[in-house]
Amino acid sequence: MIKLVRIDDRLVHGQVAFTWTPALGADCLLIANDKVAADEFMKMTLNLAKPPGTRLLIKSVEAAATFLNDEKSKNAKVLVLINSIKDAAALADSVPAITSINFGGLRSKEGSRLISKAIAVNEEDISIIKDLLVKGIELEVRQVPTDTRQFLQNLI
Amino acid sequence: MTLTYLLIALIAMFGHSEDLMGTTLLSRPLVLGPLVGLVLGDVTQGVMIGATLELIFMGNIKVGAAIPPDVITGGVLGTAFAILSGKGPAIALAIAVPVSILAEMVISGLFVFRAVLNKKFSQYAEDGNYKGIERLHILSGLLKPLLMGTIILLTLNLGAPAIKSLLDSIPPWVQTGLQVAGNMLPALGFALLLNLMFNKKMAPYFFLGFMLAAYLKLPVIAIGGFGLIIALLVTQVSEKPVADDDDNFGSEDEQPETPQQTHSLSKKDLRSLFFRSLFLEANFNFETWQNTGFAFAIIPVLKKIYHTRQTMAAALKRHLTFFNTSPYGSTLILGITAAMEEQNSLDNEFDEESINSVKLGLMGPLAGVFDSLFWGTFKVIAAGVGTSLAINGNIMGPVLFLLIFNVPHLLLRYKLTFVGYNAGTKFLQSLAKNNVMDRLIKGSSILGLMVVGAMPATLMNITTPLQIGNKGSAIGLQSILNQVVPAIIPLGLTFLVYYFVKKNIKTTYLLIGLLLLGFAGSVIHLFA
Repeated sequence: MIKLVRIDDRLVHGQVAFTWTPALGADCLLIANDKVAADEFMKMTLNLAKPPGTRLLIKSVEAAATFLNDEKSKNAKVLVLINSIKDAAALADSVPAITSINFGGLRSKEGSRLISKAIAVNEEDISIIKDLLVKGIELEVRQVPTDTRQFLQNLI
Repeated sequence: MTLTYLLIALIAMFGHSEDLMGTTLLSRPLVLGPLVGLVLGDVTQGVMIGATLELIFMGNIKVGAAIPPDVITGGVLGTAFAILSGKGPAIALAIAVPVSILAEMVISGLFVFRAVLNKKFSQYAEDGNYKGIERLHILSGLLKPLLMGTIILLTLNLGAPAIKSLLDSIPPWVQTGLQVAGNMLPALGFALLLNLMFNKKMAPYFFLGFMLAAYLKLPVIAIGGFGLIIALLVTQVSEKPVADDDDNFGSEDEQPETPQQTHSLSKKDLRSLFFRSLFLEANFNFETWQNTGFAFAIIPVLKKIYHTRQTMAAALKRHLTFFNTSPYGSTLILGITAAMEEQNSLDNEFDEESINSVKLGLMGPLAGVFDSLFWGTFKVIAAGVGTSLAINGNIMGPVLFLLIFNVPHLLLRYKLTFVGYNAGTKFLQSLAKNNVMDRLIKGSSILGLMVVGAMPATLMNITTPLQIGNKGSAIGLQSILNQVVPAIIPLGLTFLVYYFVKKNIKTTYLLIGLLLLGFAGSVIHLFA
């Protein structure tokens, strides 16, 4: 079961390991990222940050989608981590079970603007966001579980 | 009076300077309370009020960019008015809670504003002007204490008489109600901690801590000691690295891009890396976060190895990119980066990109590790021991609080600078290979949870004055409870709030709900 799909460009860090994992009761962290899946060094550092008692899976976006669509993964309480809006959209496209996406942190980049304390988006992101909203997927901003949800449609 | 107000504002400024002092918890109510007490001539009262506020704000932590209510402004003003009006901790709460929420908005505004300075920082980097970066970093860091100090001074000068007369007009029954309500609020702090630390697997440790405190009446410091021993025993049972999945990293033999041969930086250089890391969060902002803090810390190293304007400018620009990690583990990344920069300065073939990719790759995971360790364990133990002493007016409370947190913090932070520089990413690989982090975090959460378990039993003073039976032969319900499960009321309240936290109810509503419950409970003589 997917407990949360989170966009966070730091993937696993304090907020994820220390607030989201226990708050969700997640027992499996799934990182869906093509680059990280091919990078042994990144895998090693991410494993260091793995909260105790959880399983950390690092897969390409495509393999992550297959995993999430597989019946066998339904027993795990999965926290899915993605580091870009683009990957999130790709994943949401191929995994019907994704009905809501949490926006946790996206740093400023070229041509982006801050729409919330920790979320910066550019024009390309906004057009993907609009597509996702049209598809009826809930997009909400929260850094930590106790934050109040803000909805993306009210921010762009 | 004006001098007193000025001193109080200075204390708040001191608290707000914590970002320039290594995030060492100097800003917590437990530390600032006694200082306010000192200025107002009643240290003991200051210690006790500080402890009360610390308990309530215990679950408020700063992780990432999530900014908690500003306990500095709220705590200092609350403590000051409570002592000035002579009405005790309940009044401190009544003031601290709303003020801290308002002040948080001001601070968030400042963190947004600071992003404006980024243009200036980039300009300095372009020119290779490291002095400019250093200066602006510190100036921006001073902005927060100056801004908040001014606001507090104005509030005190303009509002003090009005607030005082308002407080004086509070009837005694309201004050009693507030007192009971205040005694209930720690349940919220404990529940927020539980939300971070509690799960089914770890539950026994929590209840062990609770029972040691409730039945055996052990002080928190003793429970911390037992917790440490149990944690050591449990984690020593060597857990083989769980090869639970083919997807887990398998090949540690692959070397990351840090082939370190030369180490020409002196001990003094590395020491300055450590000292400067204490300023990491001075210019914290919502756009690039701790970037200038990182640059500020590493500048002495850059100065030593880059001798032309171009190379310096390139390095400065590199380190002005977004950065955010736990300050407590920041020196490890600084050390590794210093080694890589050094390599880069010597080797023309060196891939500059790799510096930032290692740095940015490490910042998230290491923040996960160090935030859990320091906020989840050391802070909890320090606060548990500190408040349990301070609540009775013992000045050792705040002292132990600072020592328990900062002795391990500063030792580790210092050591990690050298480890990072000398061993680099190899150090991390050996940690990963031996599952050290898993054991460390598991052990520390056992210890933390036992201390949290002790808290409802020792730090929450809620009882019931209800009587059972006829007038002549009535027995107090509390005395029965004391024989069966002492401290069941605080424990029950804590779990009640925890239940609502799990249901994602907003903290502010829970706070108001608890205040109302306590107040109403006091009026109808259900709680005392």
